[in-house]
Amino acid sequence: MRALVVDDSRTMRRIVANVLEGLGFSTTQAADGQEALDALQQEGAVDLVTVDWNMPVMDGLELVTHVRKNREWRGVTLMMVTTEAEQSQIVRALAAGAHEYLIKPFTAEELRAKLDLLGLVPVEETA
Amino acid sequence: MSTDVATDQVLLIARDVFASMIDGEDGHLNAWEGETPAVEEPVHAWVDLFGELSGRAVLTTATATAHDLARALLGLPADEEVSHEDLVDAFGELANVVGGNIKALMPDAAKLGLPAVADTVPLLEGALRVQELALSWRGRPIVVELWVLLTGGGQ
Repeated sequence: MRALVVDDSRTMRRIVANVLEGLGFSTTQAADGQEALDALQQEGAVDLVTVDWNMPVMDGLELVTHVRKNREWRGVTLMMVTTEAEQSQIVRALAAGAHEYLIKPFTAEELRAKLDLLGLVPVEETA
Repeated sequence: MSTDVATDQVLLIARDVFASMIDGEDGHLNAWEGETPAVEEPVHAWVDLFGELSGRAVLTTATATAHDLARALLGLPADEEVSHEDLVDAFGELANVVGGNIKALMPDAAKLGLPAVADTVPLLEGALRVQELALSWRGRPIVVELWVLLTGGGQ
């Protein structure tokens, strides 16, 4: 499976990518929403995009909205990974088309559990 | 308009952040006992909060401690050099996560700014420090401050 990790912090990108790669994903990274859209257009759809909310150039909510508008990316699973913890923000993100929402800070186990809910953890990893 | 964010709430947030992202377990971050300590060769990381209630959350620690925090976040061995870029990114992300969770406790704080890191913090004119919490991470001081603009938003 392929994942695109979108966060303006390369520290956070590395943390998320390490967990995903441990589960067998191949990952690419983008530092803002526009970079993520460019990556999707150039490399094609991926199975999962993890999306930070607060980023320069294009924020995560706008990215989710753009991805959801594109029919070619209908099969892409979008998971917010963000410090935005208010219920109202979670509702906004889900309404825009995000499938899951993970609030920072998180542990590797919590990220894995969210992926499991989305059916994105290989069977041998869930045993 | 209330600006109350209780000290124990900030302590709980900081403990959760450190347990999840830095230490992998509870127990290494505690309230500092006694007066707020002086921090030698300080480095500051902060995020601004914008909305009807605006302000700033600031983390301050010694540069050597910030290097160790960056190593822990990045999963680097103790003897590996941390680049300045990695230090800024990792310590800034720590402030971002702490600040974002503090924002969730504040009424009407609509937007979180992007994190910044420097050896001095620029003045936030008209702001009042409503919280100063000294913490001990493995015996080393980290200070969390929360500043609030009492004149309302508009940034």
